[in-house]
Amino acid sequence: MASQNPNPDPKRFEVSKGTLRLDTFMTHFIKVGGVGIILSVFAIFIFITIQVLPLFQSAKVEEAAVIDTGVTDFHIVGVDEWGELPFVVNLKDGSFTFIDIKREHEAKPVIGPRGIFTEHPKYAGKAEFTSALYHHKSEEVIFGTNDGRYTLVKVEYTPEFNARSERTIKAKLSADKFFPLGKGLGAVQAIDYYDADKDRLVAALVESDTGLQVRTTTFKRKKTPFGVGAWKPADEYNLTDQIQGKPSKVLVTGQGNGVLISTVEGTVYFFIIEKGEIGLRQKFQPFGEEGIGSMDWLLGNESLVFTSDKGENVIFAQYRPEPTEEQLASGEEVRRQFAEINSLPNLSGPADLYSHSMRNRAFLLASGPEASIRYGTTGSIRWQKTLGFTPKAGILGSRYETMMLADDAGSLHFFSIDDPHPEASFSAFFSKIWYEGQDEPKYLYQSSAADASTEPKFSMVPLIFGTFKGTLYAMIFAVPIALLAALYTSQFLKPEYKKVVKPTMEIMASLPSVVLGFLGALWLAPILDSRYPSVFLILFLLPLTAAAVGYVWGQLPQRYRIYLKPGQEFLVFIPLLLIVTIAGWELGPWVESKLCVYVDPTTGQEIADFRLWWPHTFLGGNYDQRNSMVIGFMMGFAVIPIIFTIAEDAMSNVPQFLTSASLALGASRWQTASRVVLPTASPGMFSAMMIGFGRAVGETMIVVMATGNTPIMDWNIFNGMRTLSANIAVEMPEAPKESTHYRILFFGALLLFLMTFLVNTVAEVARVRLRNRYKTVG
Amino acid sequence: MATVTATEPTLTEHTAPSPDPSYIQVKNFSFWYGSSQVIHDQTFSMPKQKVTAFIGPSGCGKSTLLRCFNRMNDLIDGIHHEGDITVGGESIFNPMLEVISLRKRVGMVFQKYNPFPKSIYENIVYSLRVAGRNKKSELDEVVERSLRNAALWDEVKDRLQDSALGLSGGQMQRLCIARAIANQPEILLMDEPCSALDPVATGKIEELIHQLKRQFTIVIVTHNMQQAARVSDRTAFFYLGKLIEYDETQKIFMNPEKPQTEDYVSGRFG
Repeated sequence: MASQNPNPDPKRFEVSKGTLRLDTFMTHFIKVGGVGIILSVFAIFIFITIQVLPLFQSAKVEEAAVIDTGVTDFHIVGVDEWGELPFVVNLKDGSFTFIDIKREHEAKPVIGPRGIFTEHPKYAGKAEFTSALYHHKSEEVIFGTNDGRYTLVKVEYTPEFNARSERTIKAKLSADKFFPLGKGLGAVQAIDYYDADKDRLVAALVESDTGLQVRTTTFKRKKTPFGVGAWKPADEYNLTDQIQGKPSKVLVTGQGNGVLISTVEGTVYFFIIEKGEIGLRQKFQPFGEEGIGSMDWLLGNESLVFTSDKGENVIFAQYRPEPTEEQLASGEEVRRQFAEINSLPNLSGPADLYSHSMRNRAFLLASGPEASIRYGTTGSIRWQKTLGFTPKAGILGSRYETMMLADDAGSLHFFSIDDPHPEASFSAFFSKIWYEGQDEPKYLYQSSAADASTEPKFSMVPLIFGTFKGTLYAMIFAVPIALLAALYTSQFLKPEYKKVVKPTMEIMASLPSVVLGFLGALWLAPILDSRYPSVFLILFLLPLTAAAVGYVWGQLPQRYRIYLKPGQEFLVFIPLLLIVTIAGWELGPWVESKLCVYVDPTTGQEIADFRLWWPHTFLGGNYDQRNSMVIGFMMGFAVIPIIFTIAEDAMSNVPQFLTSASLALGASRWQTASRVVLPTASPGMFSAMMIGFGRAVGETMIVVMATGNTPIMDWNIFNGMRTLSANIAVEMPEAPKESTHYRILFFGALLLFLMTFLVNTVAEVARVRLRNRYKTVG
Repeated sequence: MATVTATEPTLTEHTAPSPDPSYIQVKNFSFWYGSSQVIHDQTFSMPKQKVTAFIGPSGCGKSTLLRCFNRMNDLIDGIHHEGDITVGGESIFNPMLEVISLRKRVGMVFQKYNPFPKSIYENIVYSLRVAGRNKKSELDEVVERSLRNAALWDEVKDRLQDSALGLSGGQMQRLCIARAIANQPEILLMDEPCSALDPVATGKIEELIHQLKRQFTIVIVTHNMQQAARVSDRTAFFYLGKLIEYDETQKIFMNPEKPQTEDYVSGRFG
């Protein structure tokens, strides 16, 4: 270098290599850090999205194998829980043909070592069977005979494990006695039953000399500490006369106290047995004048799946209608009725084949060669295909992982189903859904229930609502206090006091939210519980006093005002406001005794209790100890320091030359603050509010601890809420990995992510526009 | 270097007698920031409807004194004073006097032009609006009069509703003058009004000061001695917080009594 350059720089002008290296290193280091943060935020977004995406995929159904059984004259296909020992029932002699299936992991099912074998249950005598029905849940087959009797065959599957932990499924058949459905009856055409603990209800369509009869028979058995007795016939009901048209199918309701009969003409009769009497509860036509093609229960025996002659597909469930005026007048109880809760896309014709999943509200319908798996709650088609054969019978595996369809030629078609999240769909998350047992379509969130057959409800709307509700109440409390405090501190307070106030507020911001939540739940909520009138009184009196004192002070002549230097007014104000607060607190119970009087409707006693008075006075109102007011205070407390600090900075950063100009023109401190400082600081104040909003939206622990976490949709301030973030915190520990529930929690996280992203973007755009509008010289 | 390049009308103005030769009186006035004294026992008086210039090197307390006249120093922590300042015979430190009304009487133009981020119109009428005067016709009249007085009317009359921040530096400073005189104060304080401006804009402001002294009593702080010589009737020279010399501008620049004054005006220090 030196030789090429005739006049090398003197040493003192040289830049040391270390400086250059450090400069280069730091430049790249900072670049890596900055880009890394952007990438990691993006990666989190992608990770959450990947967790969520499977929710929106439809079912993958693949035909895994076709196995020839050799049995063509069958009526029923049944299967065990593992899908390894399906059977078909030969109606002619009541024999069961089992097919041993070997299912290796990731291999096609093949016929196992036991092959295809037929077993005859030990029937209690000779009989000719004319109809049969398989109850998948109880794994029982009910047979109707040609002489008006029935019997039940229990298929008892038990897994046995050998030394190498390999599973073999054993099946044991045990047939019950024959029970008569009545006297002088012929062949049973259709039959259904329901076993309660000590009662059994059997409903059947039975031929007789006078034509097709609709029979319902109840049986009872004794239960003693030494065991259960045998079933004994109890009551017999003949419903034939009450039904017009040709009955085609009978079903027994889930409680075992009702019977549904559909006719070819398209009418459904709903009978209920109450106190030994049977009565017609409801008569309805699911498709109007059109005929009914099929009628079957969904899981839980609450919802009915109908198809019409033309392939229309609807779901009916019981609900309690609004009482009519006559019913209100007579005080008559409103009875539950069936109504359409969902309708699904049409099939090509009436369903010939139906089976429902034992895990969820999915069901299989087939009409001719067209087969379809649908989801009852959301009304979505999970899978639909026109097959190369016409299924004659079929069943969905109880784990909703397999489907078996049998064709006319005696082949059993094995399908594998990969549909982990059938209950999830866009409409399930964001639209009103009419769930079983509800009286109307609703937004509901209920991820788990005591009963496995209860459908999970995954509407995101109550959670989004709760998020905004909590945030709103927190902001209502926090924004005025924080902004006014910032304005006072930056513009009115003497700088020496400001030096104390600001760091104190910043320390407040560092309080862990779990502490705030704990305080809110266990300290504030019980205190406020009996003192809401006081709280309202204080909230009313404080601003009023402040405004009144301010006004009177302004009206005082200068000679009185000189005693209080500007910036020290708080020395008078704080004791005064404290006195007002204490007065309001003490006066609260008195106000309560005057205003919030609740008259007990039963005893006529007058009780002055706000907690009773509020729900009574505001219809639909409710009172909870841990309510949105507590959340507003505690979350407000968490948000105030953030808003205060940022807003105070923005206001203090308004250039001195602007405030000086205003003051020099004869403006008062308040005029300067309101006309110059507030507009100029508005972008910063806006940011402060938005950052506070973002904190409140994502705040978790306070909401988890200080509310009831009920996902309700109600603006009532004395109710709780459940926010998206609290929902994740509460339910993540109980959500199995990769289950629908788990993914839905991630979906909640994604919504939260998108919401804060949206809020921040809008806030930033608004801030930039405000800043351009109120930018200053220099 | 002290050359007085006054134009003909200015000379006649110089000779016009003041209606009140001791309109603003500074009486044994001392001023402290915390413990450091920046103004030492000054006593002098300024005539009405004349231009008085304060000159002196940086840190001599001339700006502080100027800011005492409308009590802008009140905003600063830890100040105190001794002695008194009177305007028209009335003490400005009278506790019964509202500082807001004082500031309405004593307008101020700052070193750096500082228009509000509002329209030209709203800048001018600010002092009227804060006084609760919102009548449109009155405001319109004030805007035109103030802008004409500030020699800005012809340049901005078509864009009164545009942001004041779109003006040039010189225009903004004249806008600030128009804003300061909108509410017709009696005294106009100018704290180095041209220090941030180019020579052309400075010339315009100086011309304006000549126009304005017919109506207002003007006190101007300047570092620029030629400017003091050009615009003022009387000049006060301060040094280290003390009033060294105070006399007719001509005298200060042509024939100062104190050697320090001569050294300063002739550019030997400062």
